[in-house]
Amino acid sequence: MINDNIKEFIYEDILPKVEKPGRYVGNEWNSVHKSLEGIDIRFAFCFPDVYEVGMSHLGIKILYHLLNDQKDIYCERVFTPWPDMEKEMRENNVKLFALESRDYIDSFDFIGFTLQYEMSYTNIINMLDLAGVPVRAQDRKEGQPFVIAGGPCAYNPEPLAGVIDLFALGEGEELLLEIMETYKTWKASGKSRQEFLRMAAGIKGVYVPSLYHVEYNEDNTISKVTPLYEDVPKKVKKRVVKSLENSYFPDKIIVPYIEVVHDRIMLEIFRGCTRGCRFCQAGMVYRPIREREIDELVEIADKLLASSGYEEISLSSLSTSDYSRLQELVEKLMSKYESKRVALSLPSLRIDSFSLKLIEEVQKVRKSGLTFAPEAGTQRLRDVINKGVTEEDLIKSVGDAFETGYNSIKLYFMIGLPTETLEDVQGIADLACKVLDRYFEVPKERRPKGLNVNVAASSFVPKAFTPFQWEPQDRPETLVEKQKQLRAALKKKQVKVNWHEPYVSYMEAVFARGDRRVNEVLIKAWELGCKFDGWDEHFKFDKWMEAFEQCGVDPEFYAYRRRDLDETLPWDHIDVGITKKFLKSEYKKSLKAELTRDCRTVCTGCGINLLEEGGVCK
Amino acid sequence: MINVRLKFTKGSEVKYISHLDLMRTFMRVVRRAEVPIAYSGGFNPHPEMSFGAPLSLGVISLAEYVDINLAQEVPLSELVDKLNQYMPMGIKVLGAIKLPEKFKSAMALITHAKYSIKAYIDDADTKELKEKLNSFINQEQILAQKKQPKKNFQIKEVDIRPMILEMNFDGCQDGICIFSCLLHSGSKANLKPEMLMQAFSDYVGLNFNRTTITREEVFVEQDGKLIDLLQYRD
Repeated sequence: MINDNIKEFIYEDILPKVEKPGRYVGNEWNSVHKSLEGIDIRFAFCFPDVYEVGMSHLGIKILYHLLNDQKDIYCERVFTPWPDMEKEMRENNVKLFALESRDYIDSFDFIGFTLQYEMSYTNIINMLDLAGVPVRAQDRKEGQPFVIAGGPCAYNPEPLAGVIDLFALGEGEELLLEIMETYKTWKASGKSRQEFLRMAAGIKGVYVPSLYHVEYNEDNTISKVTPLYEDVPKKVKKRVVKSLENSYFPDKIIVPYIEVVHDRIMLEIFRGCTRGCRFCQAGMVYRPIREREIDELVEIADKLLASSGYEEISLSSLSTSDYSRLQELVEKLMSKYESKRVALSLPSLRIDSFSLKLIEEVQKVRKSGLTFAPEAGTQRLRDVINKGVTEEDLIKSVGDAFETGYNSIKLYFMIGLPTETLEDVQGIADLACKVLDRYFEVPKERRPKGLNVNVAASSFVPKAFTPFQWEPQDRPETLVEKQKQLRAALKKKQVKVNWHEPYVSYMEAVFARGDRRVNEVLIKAWELGCKFDGWDEHFKFDKWMEAFEQCGVDPEFYAYRRRDLDETLPWDHIDVGITKKFLKSEYKKSLKAELTRDCRTVCTGCGINLLEEGGVCK
Repeated sequence: MINVRLKFTKGSEVKYISHLDLMRTFMRVVRRAEVPIAYSGGFNPHPEMSFGAPLSLGVISLAEYVDINLAQEVPLSELVDKLNQYMPMGIKVLGAIKLPEKFKSAMALITHAKYSIKAYIDDADTKELKEKLNSFINQEQILAQKKQPKKNFQIKEVDIRPMILEMNFDGCQDGICIFSCLLHSGSKANLKPEMLMQAFSDYVGLNFNRTTITREEVFVEQDGKLIDLLQYRD
């Protein structure tokens, strides 16, 4: 255990030297501090990115309070120290500590990571090393913490199979507590570390990679994955909370001192998505759709506003306008909070259901920009990805927005989508120009001044458990060409074009669909100095290439290869509820630009209904 | 409209919270406490609050001031209690006064600040330090280096002597040497204590292992006297 002198040293001598000491002080309003008496489990909840990013994530807020609501569990937060802080820590032999107690986390029972994006993986390795915990699971000994991970990227756990002791697949509210119960039983029994992992593997939703053996074919594809023991499940099913009604939601959230990316109340209105966009992993893996009732949402909002003092609520979901009674919810919230000057924001609005009435309601307190996501530039390509929106939808929506006084519009697109041609890229520019034209159609005296159209073109990364999981990614050179074309076509003073670093997207593609063999590449890249890879200023492509070469692993095999539909995929032993049959059928339809309907209108047979006994779809 | 001036502490727990972060924190405390604060107009209404002299990151204070504008009357003691109930650790409202309708802001009033400084020095020679401080303070001119954040952190030399009204050495114990000083502070002339200590450490050729600075009080000069901001009347 850390002594008070070290804690004082960190606080008084290290923090004055770093750029933003507020990242490391904790003590924020509603943070939980416990005495160690009566605590059976100490849990370090780690977000493998900097504080401002990690504190913007809803999942960590829910699970932090869920765990701390248990009397005998003490959950604390840990974020990745920014490189300036890491340097000070390493130079002064200070190990990674938890924000609340400032105790070193190497003596905790669990070190948990949430996996939100692949480019945070090197930070996980770096954090374990900073904590003084072996980075490879096989090197951890009795008495050392168990490293557990969950979150959307855990659905393809294989690239981290050698680092993480156990994965929690799916929603954590029930699963995490079951794992904690099993841990307590194990701790009391005095059995070995290995024995706990065996016990945990018996919990539905837990995947222990070391209990599986992977064999490969000569062409480097996977031949089979087999559990080492009979009682270890062949396929691990994700967990879902059957209904959001009365399911856990904290009545308080931490209010950070320093400004974080999403500095507001995030009110989760529903989980899952019924649209079935074919590029979208979230739309597949978060199924089934489950809404929270209006009355319950208002009650949660009441409690959170009172306990936090926040001045803004954001309605959180994968597609806000799909909430079945959105207008009613918004009116209720606004009538209650308008006089208290609480602003409401509605991210993820769809173009085809944009409602002027709704927007007028929302902007009573504060006006912000609007974001729309046509995703692709031509109708053909939008049909390929099953986006299901049209140019008319977009032009009508932005027209309404301009007429109501909006002058700032953000448009999200992807480049590098399957079957994309240069014509589709040109389509993005054409669409943006039509948005401009629509603005100028509004009579001068009625339209807001200073139009500002932001076109964000990210690079498509094929993900596991989507209909495009078999597809190759565009090469960086091609992506760069397409970006150039787009910029050239959009040289207008009202338009700004943003894009992703294509080489980062390349690495993302490797780890999104990687198998166990890329695990050592991650560790090697970290040894060569890679970390914070999601931050362009820290991304070192040459080091990554060096790591692949030294490990004898070909990144192109993972990013640019078109997989055979019958190939055993690295994540085939994970069951997210969506069947491979459905994904294959969606893939085939996509190549013919055939649409699949929203499954709220008719069941499209994705398989999620069979995940739980009795079904989970409404 | 009712104008109120509050005095509060900014303790060690929150000493790394920037001025901007502190403002946001207050805004949220006011909302949690359901204090009827007045809001500004415009597209982005914000609560009417105005803080006194910003504190450098890492400096503790026993005397910070903020002027707030209430939409309706609240008894001052009730206001203080309510706010304290919802303040994060390290911030405590010490007192409040009602201001007239027209008043000069805390920010505009402040002319001086008093600090106490703990400097951690190995094997400090008390007698020598005392002499060195005397000769340091008796210089006609004390050139110190000032970083200019707005000019790419270029370093400019400035004479800080005129901004030091008092600087005392109160002895050392267990390697901790205690200083106190009264400096010009505010919009006309402003000397940060950390800059003074840097100049002093350069002068004596000593490296301080650690310095902890506390702002004890800020003042407004009125008729040649220094008055704290809760006592001051126009």
